Amino acid sequence: MSLNHKRVARIGAALFALGLLYPFTALFAHVGPWQWSGDVRGHALASVRVSLLLTSCAMAIILAIGTPVALYITRCSVRERLVWQAILLVPILLPPLALGILLTLAFGPYGSLGSHLEHYGIVMTNSATAFILTQVYVGMGYYVLGAVAALDAVPVMLQKQAALLGLSPAKVFWRVTLPLARLGLAVALTLAWVRAIGEFGAVVVTAYYPSGMPVQLWVNLQSFGLPAVMPLLVAFLAVALPLPWLVHVLAQRHRHA
Amino acid sequence: MLKASITKKRREFTVDVALELDKGNSLGLFGASGTGKSTVLACIAGIEQPDEGHVELNGFRFFPPALALHKRPVGYLTQEPGLFPHLRVSENISFGIPKNLAQDKEHARWIETLRTRLQLGPLWNAPASLISGGQARRVGLARMLARKPELVLLDEPFAGLDRDLVRELIDDLVLWRRTLGFSMIAVDHQAEVLRRLCPEQAIVLEEGKVVQRGNWNDLYGAPATPLLRSLLAPL
Repeated sequence: MSLNHKRVARIGAALFALGLLYPFTALFAHVGPWQWSGDVRGHALASVRVSLLLTSCAMAIILAIGTPVALYITRCSVRERLVWQAILLVPILLPPLALGILLTLAFGPYGSLGSHLEHYGIVMTNSATAFILTQVYVGMGYYVLGAVAALDAVPVMLQKQAALLGLSPAKVFWRVTLPLARLGLAVALTLAWVRAIGEFGAVVVTAYYPSGMPVQLWVNLQSFGLPAVMPLLVAFLAVALPLPWLVHVLAQRHRHA
Repeated sequence: MLKASITKKRREFTVDVALELDKGNSLGLFGASGTGKSTVLACIAGIEQPDEGHVELNGFRFFPPALALHKRPVGYLTQEPGLFPHLRVSENISFGIPKNLAQDKEHARWIETLRTRLQLGPLWNAPASLISGGQARRVGLARMLARKPELVLLDEPFAGLDRDLVRELIDDLVLWRRTLGFSMIAVDHQAEVLRRLCPEQAIVLEEGKVVQRGNWNDLYGAPATPLLRSLLAPL
């Protein structure tokens, strides 16, 4: 590539990057004085707490269930693996609103499972449980598919060598597979985190209360307008973006090291 | 004693080999590249499963049914030593050694012997991902021998190493086999390397079948096939 072509390509790439980041300039848009009065602030801070706490619970569940499932899939035959991938794609490809309606009907008081759960005091609509369950459904597919890729990247021969050195399958997982796949697993978990914490369509149906940040943003927009949205929007970006962004940057650096 | 009979289908031919090896003895598996030598070793180690046959070491059945890898007292070293890149050299060598054994004085002396003989001192605390191929081979050898396995399987472990180092490693292995008493099967396509490493006996494979077995003098004196004759001929 000649020097001139290189320069043109670089300018093109820079314009592309500017275009991608352009929406962030809206944080400086003139929407009037930002509203952070007692009423707005109270609901906003509560939504940050709800999102952080309940999404963390959802991630713990995803990690605990999704990791063994991913490990199982890596050891499946090609045909069984395709079936698993097709199943995992369903919640990913489903429109969020449709997923929310399905979850409400399946786990809510209208379904037999939901009515049984309610009998035992477990309310599956407009509750913390409903919020977590929705996020688990939203994020699980992303995590498991990412985790399968991460576990696949660990050479099988290294795991067999570890076994020949006297380690049981469980110890091979903890001492070889997991350490070598940890960055890929972290990337998969951050994808699930971003997807879950930002979920609106499904959550607004299953768990309008307790309101997480996306639902509260929508409420603020409807009730008070943009000035009440902006502070929560900044908080939302500050909470949702930096950690996944850092993990991805670290993973890329590690890959190219 | 190792008793093995292995039948394993491969794309081009079927590997069909039976062998017996007395405790503490060595056996060289010789032949051109791609004749099924590595398949035999992998089946004995348990890395691959035979389609038919049986494998037994000192009365301990490996196959069938397939015994879990971690229960086989086998050391297996290939061209790619498979070091754990997230660990240091010393951690690789002590990998899998039970805590009570690691604290044993005699074991500590053995590790020190390996460290000295294989010149691992300067590398001891280096990350395994940052050492050279030749160094990795030495670390792989130390890691394999640290547990004092009953059977050592070597699949062209010296390919690509310089001659002086190969000579030293072979001398060490021969000495340790005699002192520790492990059995050893080695694969190589260089007859001289294999003869030095496993002086007692050899099996020659062509397209998965045994074409000759016996001591090295027999092989050199009366090679069974034209291909073997050309493989044994000096350059």
